[in-house]
Amino acid sequence: MTPRRILVVEDNPLNLKLVRDVLQFAGYDVVEAHSGEEGLRVAEEDPPDLVLMDLQLPGIDGTETLRRLRQGSLGRNVPVVAVTAFAMAEDRERASLAGFDGYIEKPISVRALPGQVDAFMSGRGQ
Amino acid sequence: MSDRSERTSRVSRASVRQHQELRQARYQSKASREILAALGRSAADPGDVLDTVVDEATRLCGAQAAQLFLLKGDMFRLSRVAGETPQEYRDYLEDHPIARNRSSTVGRSAEDRHTHQIRDVLEDPDYGRHDLQRLAGFRTLLSTPMILEDEVVGVLSMWRTDVKPFDDRERELLEEFAVEGAIVLRHVDLMRSLESRGAELASKVAQLEALRAVGEAVGSSLDLDEVLDRIVTNAVRLTETDGGSIMEYDESSDSFHVRAAFGSSPDLLKQLRAITIRRESTLVGRTALENQPLELCDLAEAELDPHLDILFRDGWRSVLAVPMLRGDKIVGVLVIRRRSTGTFPPEMRELLQTFATQSALAIVNARLFRELETKTKELEVASRHKSEFLASMSHELRTPLNAVIGFSEVLLDRLFGEINERQAEYLRDIWNSGRHLLDLLNDILDLSKVEAGQMLIEPSRFEVGSVLDWAMAMLRERATLHAITITVQVAADVGVIEADERKFKQVVLNLVSNAVKFTPDGGSVSITACREGTALDVTVTDTGIGVPPEDQERIFESFQQGGRGASKEEGTGLGLTLSRRIVTLMGGRMWLKSTPEVGSTFGFSIPGLPELGHEVASSRHGDLPVVVLVDDDRVSLDLICAYLDGSPIQALRAGDGVEGLELIRKVLPAAVVLDIKLPRLDGWHVLAELKADPVTVEIPVVIASVVDDQSQGMALGADVYLRKPVSRDQLLDALRSVGAL
Repeated sequence: MTPRRILVVEDNPLNLKLVRDVLQFAGYDVVEAHSGEEGLRVAEEDPPDLVLMDLQLPGIDGTETLRRLRQGSLGRNVPVVAVTAFAMAEDRERASLAGFDGYIEKPISVRALPGQVDAFMSGRGQ
Repeated sequence: MSDRSERTSRVSRASVRQHQELRQARYQSKASREILAALGRSAADPGDVLDTVVDEATRLCGAQAAQLFLLKGDMFRLSRVAGETPQEYRDYLEDHPIARNRSSTVGRSAEDRHTHQIRDVLEDPDYGRHDLQRLAGFRTLLSTPMILEDEVVGVLSMWRTDVKPFDDRERELLEEFAVEGAIVLRHVDLMRSLESRGAELASKVAQLEALRAVGEAVGSSLDLDEVLDRIVTNAVRLTETDGGSIMEYDESSDSFHVRAAFGSSPDLLKQLRAITIRRESTLVGRTALENQPLELCDLAEAELDPHLDILFRDGWRSVLAVPMLRGDKIVGVLVIRRRSTGTFPPEMRELLQTFATQSALAIVNARLFRELETKTKELEVASRHKSEFLASMSHELRTPLNAVIGFSEVLLDRLFGEINERQAEYLRDIWNSGRHLLDLLNDILDLSKVEAGQMLIEPSRFEVGSVLDWAMAMLRERATLHAITITVQVAADVGVIEADERKFKQVVLNLVSNAVKFTPDGGSVSITACREGTALDVTVTDTGIGVPPEDQERIFESFQQGGRGASKEEGTGLGLTLSRRIVTLMGGRMWLKSTPEVGSTFGFSIPGLPELGHEVASSRHGDLPVVVLVDDDRVSLDLICAYLDGSPIQALRAGDGVEGLELIRKVLPAAVVLDIKLPRLDGWHVLAELKADPVTVEIPVVIASVVDDQSQGMALGADVYLRKPVSRDQLLDALRSVGAL
């Protein structure tokens, strides 16, 4: 079985590296994008099994990127998870209203992240 | 016969006399009636009645002429005449009135306050007005005073040109006319004072109306120019002058300029605006300097400053300037002008001073309002900048922290290889410092949200005891490390509260963690909860170093740790500030009682307990085995808690997978009751994590879910798999089977 692909859209290179390394260590294939536009392009070329997306991005933001992803080749079947620094209820609600399948709070927990990601992938259809 | 005839003639003479007297009396009473009737009509002109009085007196008393003299100053002047009075005599009297002395019957009757008669003026040695006698030719004079309220106000007088004294009846008649005349005079007097009162009242009403309009304008949020326009318009109209203006004083240039005007042509206004009215050597300036109204009653005669010069050329002839002061400060000058010359009466000055005061008030108010508006706008901008700064700073700082905490975790977990103990220690220091910074940022963000009114309260129903137990559990590890005992005591009548659970937890955790932090090794921390009506009182008491009285208020301020050994222990310094703000936001209050070297009690009170008799009884029984319930559905949690009520078990609740995992790792419970569909981290992963960790691998897990996947549950290591809905017996049996009961 080929490893499952995760697209990580995150503008901060260190945070991107952290998430990439942790997920790669957990056995995932990680594709990087540093902006919403790049994320759209990568997803178009090689559709991932899951997208982790920072909400605050340069250029088009996370919500807009999500909207375009859904309209494009990704369709509705691939889960898109928001990564947010805001631990407030209104931000969670905003993320869910925007159509994200879930959210992961920053700072991400190195120990919990692989499990969280796995849950979002297998959790679909539950 | 002769006797009889004599008697008859005597009788008839008497009868004739009686008859005549009767007729006289009739005349007299008719005259009185006419006078009184005229009096009744006299509303229009009481002068008519006085004419009637002198006419009737002449006719009824058989005089050639009668006069009514009225006292004006100290002289009697002719007011009414009847009969034959030569024009010459009348004209002459104008310039030569009668004095109040013994030279005339008029003077004598006034002096003695009774009727005087001179049989023949030519034979009276004391008579002194032969000048008049020569003009009118009278010989016999009769005068009687008219007395009003004990004062002689006039004299009624008549004459005959032959020497024929007036008899008693005629005298009485004149006296009666004098009384009636006096009544008329009083009437006239009353009418006159009424009229003047009426006029005074009308003008007062007009003034009040104008002042009210002005006051209203000053008090309203109208534009200042409009207010001043109204003031100057009302001032000019009320004083019945022709125009006016309000000159505002400008401190920076030490001069006045036109701010509002009325009755002024656009051309005049243009000219007035073009000049600078200095404070020195101008009428306007002097008015302000001397703080008193100044007037020029004829501009043609006056020395003209540039301002007055313009007015003079525009056809203005008299000017009154009234200072507008607020306290000692010059605000401006109100100028009222007329196209005609003449002085301005004192009442007008007084009235205008009122207007000037109002104008000063309006100008000062407008200035204050403008200042306030500017300040408010500046503050709003500053506050917005602050919020934006905090929000962006918090984001900017948290992003790198994410990497700091994350990479140290990666290394600490030896994801990419072994590290030595020293390296691990330093990594823990990095990790701890990162977490601390993160807490600080979160507190700052929370505080700024409270201050900006953006922190929302989200009430739910939860068990007070569970939260207190949770807080105790979260700090048990640290307390044990310092041999500090933590106890929780919840009163029997405290059960479920309706409040914001997340924020309640935040406050309790802050207080308990402070208590543990500031209590020396071997001390104790006790948490209590009791009821005060429908309010919940929570106290956290420690045997710590205490807070000196002078610091007990300051400690709630930002970045104050009030000499509580802050150097030893680290904290954000914002916790108490934030906690108190949150408690206030929840409608409660927070307090502190402390004795240095003995300990402190931090307490807070929040509303939200149900009325007594409606509450759910507490299920707590001291130091019992703990079961952690992980479920995002509050109803399910409440149901399970209700099932466990009465069992020797303490139930702690968690609302999602991450929180559940955290709690389980902290308290290491006797068992876990786990839902599968959970936010953040689902039950499968919680289960997998627990079973992957040697510390938690032994903790029995009971799954209670609507998800029907027993095989996966068992494969991951669950002990019992229950499908919702779960009955009480099923749950108790399950807990018994895993040894938690």
